[in-house]
Amino acid sequence: MIKFYIDSKEVTATKGESILDVARRENIYIPTMCYLPKASANASCRMCSIEVKAQDGFVLSCNTPPVEDIEVITNSDSLYKERQNIMKLYNVNHPLQCGVCDKSGECDLQNKTLEFDVSEQSFAVRDQARKKKKWGVHTYDPALCILCEKCTTVCNETVGNEALYIKPGGYKSHIDIKLANCIECGECISVCPVGAMASTEFKYSANAWELDKVPSSCSHCSSACQLYYESKDGEIKRVTNESDFSSLCGAGRFGFDFENRVISKDEEAFSRAIEAFKNTSNVVFSSLITNEEAYVLNELKKKFGFNLVNDEARAYQNFMKSFAKFANSSLYNATIDDLKSSDYIISIGCSIESDNPMIKFGASQAVKYKKAFVSTIAPVEEYAISNVVSLYINNEVGSEEAALAMIADTFIKDKSSQKEFFDSLDFGYLSGESNISQEELSLLKQNYIRKQNPVLIIGEDVINHPRANNIAAIAGYLQKNALFKVMVVPPFTNTLGVSLICDLDEAKSGLSVGYNVSADFTLSAKGSGDLDMPALNQQEGTFVNIDKNLVVLNAGVAHNGYELNDIANALGVKSKNIVDYTSRLGFKTIEFDDLDNYFDNVGNAYRGYKIDAMQNQENLKLDEVEELDEFNGSIVYSRNPLRQFSIFTSDTKQLKQKMDLVGSEQFAIASKIKSGDNVKFSVDGVEFIRHFRVDRHMKGTVAYNPTYNMDSKSSNYRYNQVELEVINE
Amino acid sequence: MKNEQFNNRNISSDYFEVDIADYPTTGWGKFKRVVERTFKLELLIGLWVVLREMFKFDTHTVKYPEEKMPIGPRYRAIHEMKRLWESDAERCIGCGLCEKICISNCIRIDTKIDENSRKEVSEYSINLGRCIFCGYCAEVCPELAITHGGEYENASDQREHFTMYEDMLTPLDKMKAEKQLEFEGFGAITPHEDERVKKTPLAY
Ligand code: SF4
Ligand code: SF4
Ligand code: SF4
Ligand code: SF4
Ligand code: SF4
Ligand code: FES
Repeated sequence: MIKFYIDSKEVTATKGESILDVARRENIYIPTMCYLPKASANASCRMCSIEVKAQDGFVLSCNTPPVEDIEVITNSDSLYKERQNIMKLYNVNHPLQCGVCDKSGECDLQNKTLEFDVSEQSFAVRDQARKKKKWGVHTYDPALCILCEKCTTVCNETVGNEALYIKPGGYKSHIDIKLANCIECGECISVCPVGAMASTEFKYSANAWELDKVPSSCSHCSSACQLYYESKDGEIKRVTNESDFSSLCGAGRFGFDFENRVISKDEEAFSRAIEAFKNTSNVVFSSLITNEEAYVLNELKKKFGFNLVNDEARAYQNFMKSFAKFANSSLYNATIDDLKSSDYIISIGCSIESDNPMIKFGASQAVKYKKAFVSTIAPVEEYAISNVVSLYINNEVGSEEAALAMIADTFIKDKSSQKEFFDSLDFGYLSGESNISQEELSLLKQNYIRKQNPVLIIGEDVINHPRANNIAAIAGYLQKNALFKVMVVPPFTNTLGVSLICDLDEAKSGLSVGYNVSADFTLSAKGSGDLDMPALNQQEGTFVNIDKNLVVLNAGVAHNGYELNDIANALGVKSKNIVDYTSRLGFKTIEFDDLDNYFDNVGNAYRGYKIDAMQNQENLKLDEVEELDEFNGSIVYSRNPLRQFSIFTSDTKQLKQKMDLVGSEQFAIASKIKSGDNVKFSVDGVEFIRHFRVDRHMKGTVAYNPTYNMDSKSSNYRYNQVELEVINE
Repeated sequence: MKNEQFNNRNISSDYFEVDIADYPTTGWGKFKRVVERTFKLELLIGLWVVLREMFKFDTHTVKYPEEKMPIGPRYRAIHEMKRLWESDAERCIGCGLCEKICISNCIRIDTKIDENSRKEVSEYSINLGRCIFCGYCAEVCPELAITHGGEYENASDQREHFTMYEDMLTPLDKMKAEKQLEFEGFGAITPHEDERVKKTPLAY
């Protein structure tokens, strides 16, 4: 604790806080142009200058930690002059185009030019031609750029892509890009304080002040990031976020136009839906659903006795059941914030590149700020994250159980409570079959020394593994031993919520009603079923996200048709609004309308509430590791590309892309196909015809097969051995 | 941003009902109304005024539509969209301020980026059935693009009727003939503005 004074108010700082951070926490205003709280200080604008009593000159408050007992002055005549001059300099040759600029109305340059009363210009320099650039999702106008470096900072630190950089050249300096590194997340657009880095699609289509801002949460993956839907005349024009403190990936920022537009209520279809619910044996649904709707389905199940089917959530539920028994806690204990501040990360069975973008962002930040050691255990090396990963461990397909068992054996010191299990491990065999060597394990161990916040990430390939139960047990056991904070990544947006709320079953024979899954009678928010439902950007409700927070969803666009609550009401499960169920979900009894969704001055998130884990005291024995199945020949990995998650991202205007099978040169040779071929293959009984493309960065004999256009998410192991048949005409 | 404003789902709370006597539904009620109206002789009052004026000579009545009153240059009737004298280009930059300021919410503008990367107005309409011709749009326009014109004959058989951007825009031939009208006052540039502008030092 460091005690000092800001404008004669006594304040205290903790280690690592800058003077600016403390001032903001204490609600004392210091103007800034280049400060980005979520990243390290750029210190490029000098607006945050302050004076310290009895010291000469100005000090940059954004990157200076306070010293005991100093007296900081945030405002004086000379500071005002200094700041006014900085604004004047920013305005030299700045185009007078606020009238058309996208940023007008929320522009830092505009605001501070007025704030510091720049009414005349005393500086001048010869202007030069500066070319606008269209890069992808973003358009860059160097004439508007004030070179604050926020965009390069987020791109390099927050996202970890190293796409943007400053091309130096004195007055000619500007931002440039290595396009191949850009993942089109749009983070750079969101932090730009002026109109220089703008969204290509949004550009010149609306003004900031015309847009209605609705705070909500992203519905594409389990991070459920905070966002604002900004709409005009009932149409979402763009998505923004609290970019000072939180991030969005490209799917959240650009995949917003997935609403289901219906003109009116289809009464005939509605009455058929009611009948269907009364007569059905199964209700099948996907985890792209709010907690409240999941709760309603569960209530309907109690009343009508149908089987409630969601295989993907059930697999997760089972995984967590087994995990809980060995962790002695019903939930995993890591959050994305833990990941960001971690100095040691191991992931297993997870595609860090694309399964959940916030994991990738978090790992990048851990590497930048904490110099984290990151190791991924997976059959494929994801080259896109090569700047983050310290050690790729390529296990054989299917050997995740062996891998985790060996990790447990390597790290756990006191093995007495699971003696039989550890004694049964045949290292030679496991190592041979899983292709994980002793050296790799000892490298993991060496790097673990003196680490403060190690995190273990458990991904979908483990959750949906044929031996998931035992893997979950080992993972739980690792959490209990406090060797790692563990994160079991929910595979879909609200998998965690559904798994906590619903009592799920296997499908039985007979009729099925599907909610966003095709069935005999389909309720669809995609507009492709028998009755139209609102999409997740048209609903109020909550999700339980990867941080185990219950977060709020508000409607960005109106829906004119029926919703699940109407069906429930007609079936006798009554409530006025669907959000009346929020307080009855079985977590905390807080009403929907009392839930927050904002960040405070220093970036503390007030988003819903945290769901508490239940503790238990079981002492069970781990199962022996089973012999491994062999996977040979051509293997496809059902992994989606970045920015694609489901049928709700697949058709959005800015995310649309080709669904190619992508593999390495080696894969092509081994499977006797070549780039450009159309190939036919089947995975778990589903037949795919895909255009094959070679990605020369890839290695190994595993190819990526995107499945995001399928309405239900599979609960099967994502690696599959396939026969490829070339079907070129 | 907090959620409170979104939590009021009762959208009709700001409405109130106007107290109007119900229409008679029974035969007796209807009959009573007819009798009342007939014997109040309201109709005759109107007829009498017309009759009186018909026979009076030397009245002030303008024989519209044969005769029309001259309209002052600052009269606020249907809007016009002006062009630049220098280039004949459209003045409107699509800033949307007129749409924002319009108190009867009758201006609707859509913009997009054009092939030269400039902002372009893709859709612009004014709902004349709602417009109260207050002149705020003309006052706020930073480009002196939108002004009010003298065209006031906009009767329509529908409550909603629109004027579009193309109709308001000064035609090119009129521009070529230098017939575009400018006037001082409301929304116009102040005289001697040039002298009052502080110039940026052009050191080179
Ligand atoms: S960046 Fe800001 S100051 Fe510059 S033209 Fe745009 S709105 Fe105006
Ligand atoms: S979109 Fe994302 S990855 Fe691309 S340049 Fe911007 S911040 Fe970097
Ligand atoms: S593009 Fe924007 S964020 Fe990037 S340096 Fe320029 S002003 Fe800053
Ligand atoms: S898709 Fe996931 S990571 Fe991306 S913005 Fe949405 S919730 Fe966040
Ligand atoms: S205020 Fe003027 S320039 Fe702006 S949109 Fe309206 S007419 Fe066009
Ligand atoms: S905020 Fe400190 S230098 Fe820009």
